[in-house]
Amino acid sequence: MTETARSPHRTDHLLSVPKAIVRHGSHTLADVADLRIEPGRALTIVGESGSGKSVLAHALMGTLPTELTAEGSMSIGPTRFDLADRRGRRHLWGRELALLPQEPSLALDPTMRVRQQVAEGAYGWRPRDAAALRLADERLDHFGLANAGSAYPHTLSGGMAQRVAYAAATIGGASILIVDEPSKGLDANALELLARLLDDHLAQGGLLLMITHDLRLARRIGGTVMVMRAATVVESGPAEEVLTTPAHDYTRQLVAADPANWSFPWMRRATASASGAEPGVPALVSAHSIAKTYGDRTLFNDVDIEIRAGERWAITGPSGVGKTTLGNVLLRLTSADRGTVVHAPGTGDGRLQKLYQDPGLSFPRRVSLQRALRDVMRRYEVPEARVHALLAKVGLSPSILQRRPTEVSGGELQRIAIVRAMLPRPALLFADEATSRLDLASQQATMDILMSELDEIGCALLMVTHDRAMASAVADRQLSLEVQP
Amino acid sequence: MRSRRTGLAVVLARRSAQGLGVAVLVSLLCFLVVRRLPGDAAYRIAAGRYGYDLVDQEAADAVRDELGLDRPAWQQLGSWLADALQLDFGRSLVTSRPVLDEVGYYLVGTLQLAAASLALAILLGGAVGVLAARRPGGVLDRIATGWVAGVRAVPPFLLGLLLVVVFSAQLGLLPAVGHGSASSIVLPALTLGVSLSGLIARVTRDAVVEVGQSDYVRFAHTKGLAERWVLLRHVVRNAAVVLVPYLGVQAVILIEGVVVVESLFAWQGLGHALVHAVFWRDVPVLQATALALALLIVTINTLVDLAVLWLDPRPRRLEAPA
Amino acid sequence: MTTPLLEELAPAGPRRPRPIARRSAALGLLALAVFALVGPLVLADPAAQDLGRYLESPSLAEPLGRDDYGRSVLARLAHATRLSLVLAALCVATALVLGTAAGIASAWLGGWVDAALRAVSEAFVAIPALLVVLLVSALASGGSLWALYLGLALAQWVEYFRVVRARASLVLGSPAVEAAGLLRLGPVHIIRQHLWPDLRPLLTTLASLGMVTSILAMSTLGFVKVGLQPPRAELGLMITDAFPFYDVAPWMVIAPIGVLFLLTVCFLGLRTSKDA
Repeated sequence: MTETARSPHRTDHLLSVPKAIVRHGSHTLADVADLRIEPGRALTIVGESGSGKSVLAHALMGTLPTELTAEGSMSIGPTRFDLADRRGRRHLWGRELALLPQEPSLALDPTMRVRQQVAEGAYGWRPRDAAALRLADERLDHFGLANAGSAYPHTLSGGMAQRVAYAAATIGGASILIVDEPSKGLDANALELLARLLDDHLAQGGLLLMITHDLRLARRIGGTVMVMRAATVVESGPAEEVLTTPAHDYTRQLVAADPANWSFPWMRRATASASGAEPGVPALVSAHSIAKTYGDRTLFNDVDIEIRAGERWAITGPSGVGKTTLGNVLLRLTSADRGTVVHAPGTGDGRLQKLYQDPGLSFPRRVSLQRALRDVMRRYEVPEARVHALLAKVGLSPSILQRRPTEVSGGELQRIAIVRAMLPRPALLFADEATSRLDLASQQATMDILMSELDEIGCALLMVTHDRAMASAVADRQLSLEVQP
Repeated sequence: MRSRRTGLAVVLARRSAQGLGVAVLVSLLCFLVVRRLPGDAAYRIAAGRYGYDLVDQEAADAVRDELGLDRPAWQQLGSWLADALQLDFGRSLVTSRPVLDEVGYYLVGTLQLAAASLALAILLGGAVGVLAARRPGGVLDRIATGWVAGVRAVPPFLLGLLLVVVFSAQLGLLPAVGHGSASSIVLPALTLGVSLSGLIARVTRDAVVEVGQSDYVRFAHTKGLAERWVLLRHVVRNAAVVLVPYLGVQAVILIEGVVVVESLFAWQGLGHALVHAVFWRDVPVLQATALALALLIVTINTLVDLAVLWLDPRPRRLEAPA
Repeated sequence: MTTPLLEELAPAGPRRPRPIARRSAALGLLALAVFALVGPLVLADPAAQDLGRYLESPSLAEPLGRDDYGRSVLARLAHATRLSLVLAALCVATALVLGTAAGIASAWLGGWVDAALRAVSEAFVAIPALLVVLLVSALASGGSLWALYLGLALAQWVEYFRVVRARASLVLGSPAVEAAGLLRLGPVHIIRQHLWPDLRPLLTTLASLGMVTSILAMSTLGFVKVGLQPPRAELGLMITDAFPFYDVAPWMVIAPIGVLFLLTVCFLGLRTSKDA
């Protein structure tokens, strides 16, 4: 049983991929050559969704969906593996080659206790393996999850679930770790904890391949960065170099799309008078000492907020803290447990609008966008020309309205949602994580469209986001929610 | 663990309320039957009791008298429901034996048949479903789809008739009707088991395919867990979480099938007794057997709820089907 | 459910609705409906007995032969098919209207309306359709069409209620309806653009399954002799009556079984979604 508890074996091996091509039918999804990962130095592949970066990672792991074919080879030290052979690398899984999956909360079996799920990753695991369970407890303890062992996954927060998944993936002592989009749905604190784990892995001489669209995380981990676009690598080099002084146009666009680097005419960062309400402007929404609990958890307590015409508010905080609920309470879509929410007279007639995180869910699912918008146009007596003008402004042709919401991409649909929200000439728009599902570039474009429009009609903004950089780029007032004890 | 205990309390409370509702509804329907019992039905009951040759108007009136049709309706309904809730059903109008005794006897037969059919259906449907799930869209999957549709299109009574023709009349292998020997359960159980296996096969197939493509099963693989442990520790349990609630839905179809198959094969069970009671307007037996069958469904669903509670720790809105 | 590695390449499932299958199912149903509606008008009297022509084999004039009373099997079959189709359609229509209205009311109004309707449906759900029909037909004097209709409709409304309530709550609670509320578009918009388009395919599926259930239940009841009574021509009764003659006059039993099977298969083929 000493075998089970052995420490991760470290080698001086490096992983090299002379050539890797992934295809779906005749369509090439990834085509990459001369990829090298050295011990102690991370390789990060950045790019937008559909660039082929995740597909490449799964091709190396040997976990591509069966519809996809891989060509090429990879070597771990002296041993060579054919990428087309899926089965050939299975014996490495967990021992040599580990994968930290996307969305860790889905990667944990909902019906099994956490300790069991970590333990079964141990080398040579068999049922009722006491040594493996001990090792699992040790690892969980090491990651600050000592009490989580007997818990079921649904009770864990996103960050905890990710550390559990990390423990389960690495307990077998693999020296090569592939991390796939680790920042999805994580707040800054949880992301920093993960980054430290990855640092440790590298410090012990491990190999790390990270796939991400999050440039801040890529910068934080360092090492080598490869930028992928449309199945090929456009640029690669040391992280600081590539991410601060990019050589390729596309990389420059990516870097500029980071909210921290934004620069738009509607931004008024400098002019904002951050304190004190301007006396002449009436409040559109005023809430006094509102509180809300969910089950036996307090989301917020004694919150006071007054939103005046033209103001830009951001509610920030870690995921699951109740930001969206607070926004909904302010719009009176959800009732508060205590306190009052007052809307100014004249806001009743559709002058408070909302943009949703998933625009696909905010349109009737089974009718064309045209039909869905027709009732809005009739209600507010909007001529068709104005809808077409608005569509042109957001860069869409009117013919897109013939389609159903499921036949339109998320970015396009969110722009149509913006058009819809503008039709009643709103006084306040509540944007609930409205761009969090979009790529950086289309997030930038969508926010620009939205804010220019709001600026033009003088509409106030209430924005909910987990992204503090975006909050400070857009809003002039912030309300930060913390986890309540 | 606290959540599981409250879950248990919720299940038991909800199912007890359902059982009570069912009892009231069935009793109400039976009460209406009695209220509307036409003269010739009383005559028929009397005939059933004393034989057609000996029956006269007096005997028929005695039957009507026994059912207490001269009191005001609300009083009758009140005492009717009170009697039903105390399990006091009186005596059979046809055999004059206590109804509770008769129901007890028939219940055993029904439980035997139901258990045998359900076991057969789970074995057959589970096997077909798992085989089909190995390659979605493959040859086996298509054959299984055909099987499911075919089974759905043939009502149990027809299937039973076909089995009788093949095994009993043509091959002479098995007894067609009766309740005596051990082999007499084979045809009824086969009929019902095959009928039920269709839906089970489909649900099993879909569940196994879905679980097999889930993130946690893929992660279990890349953790380095051997194939058979992935199957036993992750796939089976999570597929069961999907499949078990469907067994609750099947309970209604199972009991419906029991009534038909028992009549077809003259199997001494509640369904057989119920059909006879309807035919003879034997209201006490009618009420008791209908109640027993409906409560059997509630019982099966309670067991299903408890199994789900044990299998799946996630909190849920207890809105399980059926 | 699973994380999409390739959002743009969502694999097409093996159970896509097949337009050819649906079209042939619709054609088959049309043929059966024509047979059921026109047949009784042009064919011989189904009740006319002619004991001299006992179990006559099929011929050109009498394609399905004659039964043990010398009645025309084809004429009886046409009447039985008409009875099954019309009665089943009535039951399904009643259950659908009742169940859908109750389901939408329950999801929309919530509160005590929802609680009351759910309590009633909970009791109904545990009682098999067959049991309800049996009890209701015990209520009537036996063999009554009314009892059969009432029993089948009463047993089926719960299904519509539960499905519609579940789906309508989902739709009414969706961001799309919330957005429509913020836009002050009113209940007509919600019903026409949100609820109805979402419920329609579900109801089509449920209704075709309901037709199958009704038709099979009717024949099953005829078979256990508590449904319609002879000499009425009904598919289940015809099968039972013909069964003793299955080796001398197989056409007598095969004909109603064939029609029953065709009816079920066609209705099953008509479904829009893949629900069982």
